[in-house]
Amino acid sequence: MTVSPFQRILFALYIAIFFVYLLGPLAVMGASAFNTPEYPQVWPFEGFTLDWFGKLFADQDMMYGLKMSLWIGLLVVCISVPIGLAGAIVMTQITPRARSLYYLVVVSPVLTPGIIIGISTVVFWRQFTGQTGTRFLYDGVILTVFGQASFISAYCMLIILARLQRFDRAQEEAALDLGASYPQVFFHILLPFLKPALFSAAVLAFLSSFENYNTTTFSILSEKTLTTVLAGRMRQGTTPAISALAVIIVAVTVLGAIVYEILKRRADAAAVQRQRAAQAAEEEELAGTPSPAPA
Amino acid sequence: MAAAVELEGVNVTFGDFVAVRQANLTIEPGEFFSFLGPSGCGKTTLLRTISGFIEPTHGSVRIGGQDMKGIGPNRRPTALIFQNLALFPMMSVAENIGYGLRVRGVPRHERDEKVKNLLIQVALTEHGHKRVAELSGGQKQRVAIARALAVEPKVLLLDEPLSALDLKLRQHMRTELRAIQKKVGITFIYITHDQGEALTMSDRIAVMNAGVIEQVGDGRAVYAEPRTPFVAAFVGENNQIRGRITQVADGFATLETPLGLLKGRNPVGLGVGEEALLFVRPEALRLGHDGQASGSGFEAETLDVAYEGSVTHVTLRVRTGQKITATLGAGSALPAPGEMLCLGFAPQDGLLLKRPERA
Repeated sequence: MTVSPFQRILFALYIAIFFVYLLGPLAVMGASAFNTPEYPQVWPFEGFTLDWFGKLFADQDMMYGLKMSLWIGLLVVCISVPIGLAGAIVMTQITPRARSLYYLVVVSPVLTPGIIIGISTVVFWRQFTGQTGTRFLYDGVILTVFGQASFISAYCMLIILARLQRFDRAQEEAALDLGASYPQVFFHILLPFLKPALFSAAVLAFLSSFENYNTTTFSILSEKTLTTVLAGRMRQGTTPAISALAVIIVAVTVLGAIVYEILKRRADAAAVQRQRAAQAAEEEELAGTPSPAPA
Repeated sequence: MAAAVELEGVNVTFGDFVAVRQANLTIEPGEFFSFLGPSGCGKTTLLRTISGFIEPTHGSVRIGGQDMKGIGPNRRPTALIFQNLALFPMMSVAENIGYGLRVRGVPRHERDEKVKNLLIQVALTEHGHKRVAELSGGQKQRVAIARALAVEPKVLLLDEPLSALDLKLRQHMRTELRAIQKKVGITFIYITHDQGEALTMSDRIAVMNAGVIEQVGDGRAVYAEPRTPFVAAFVGENNQIRGRITQVADGFATLETPLGLLKGRNPVGLGVGEEALLFVRPEALRLGHDGQASGSGFEAETLDVAYEGSVTHVTLRVRTGQKITATLGAGSALPAPGEMLCLGFAPQDGLLLKRPERA
């Protein structure tokens, strides 16, 4: 099929609009971080400045929120990934009939609105810590970690489950047969196999925690995270310092994506190399190069 | 010396399904023993019972004289080679081979020494550092063997390990497996649905069908002296003709069939009036035999003649519409398709067995 120049132009236009729609707001915000006016503005560009970055780092509230967000993200990863792993393993161990019910139960936190999780986390922990005399646990950071982990664990489970379903049970049996104990099978065979999925789950858990607002706004109580600080600021009107923050976050994300892509390409190349080696060995074998019989 | 493996009244059931029924068997040390049967006959279940992945519902498994009840697969003196080999993809070839030693806590230098020797033994000396994904099918096979041998099992169990290989390589690996077994001298228990593999490699074969061990014997016994119709039909090509016994004498009997009276050996002692099946191997049938003097004969129409050089396979149709195969030697005169022939066989080449009720 030939494509007329007209069609080609239409297609290019479509792509252009698509990307403008997708990236335009980010570009505008990014540019405003380097413009001098008090309010984020790109046009007219009144003068180039890096002051907003300085102002951002001098902003105590924001820096404190950022620090808390990073801590909470880290703690959520530490809780959600093991719970997700355990949840995924249970899924493969129970009878097929119990599986659909179990799936429904463990996935339900993903489907529950974040606001509801936030409110119910607060209600539950207030009751629980009050009744058990553990009031010191009724803390914004702890509640936020638990509240977020309650649904982020489900994300982690889904990611890990996808890989676990491709696991060859015979590998586990082979290790057992060679004398491994069950913990050894878990650490030597299953975990290395799941490593990529565990890594993805950890990254996703961190990002979901970092950007979460709906649940956090309730569970954070008197503490603050970056998202709750930002939301408070927006009410008073935004400043280019927030644009500067956006530039940093976008830059870090893009950098991460590039590093990931490089590593992935390297791994793919290694896999292709291996496959070629296997093919060569196969051909050599079928060509009848005698594999020396055991001496 | 205690038997390598003893099965005593072993039954394995999954819910209502009986996978193995009443298995009694003694496998001697150093024996190459095969379980031969179609898929779903229970041979893999039996192998998994010996290796400890399945506990028998009834009966006991003894290895080296010791009852294995309650002893898990990781504490049995067996090693299993899986159908898909189940090599560990995230480990190198050497790490794969050394894995059994690693989990046993064998010190590194001792382990390395042993892995090196095993790599030499399976001719993979230069491949120790490679990933499993870089190897050919035959090389992977040898890694699996070395990995199993590393733990010095009393019994090596093999679950159709050659089925994934190219035909030519498979034949080569048969010889190689047999050679390895002779060299290490341990008991090999081999599972296969391929009678060629079972016949060429094994000291003894157990033929299984529908969860039951039908016959145990060396290759010649199961081929030439089958004791059940299943064994007669499954091991090698066989023609079968139904009928009723009319006369019994001196280990022979005469069968009344739609094709006339046919005479054959009667090793299981069938009596007059019993329903029976007569088995005749394609290579025992002779063309143009009048059937009067020394044996039995019947008429058939030639359908197809397949000339293969050393032998010729002839497909014929008898009066009842049933198809019969005859294999002729190199020097024979060949019939033409459509030709009516007289087929005959000597009474000692006919074998009479009891007809199973369900058939």
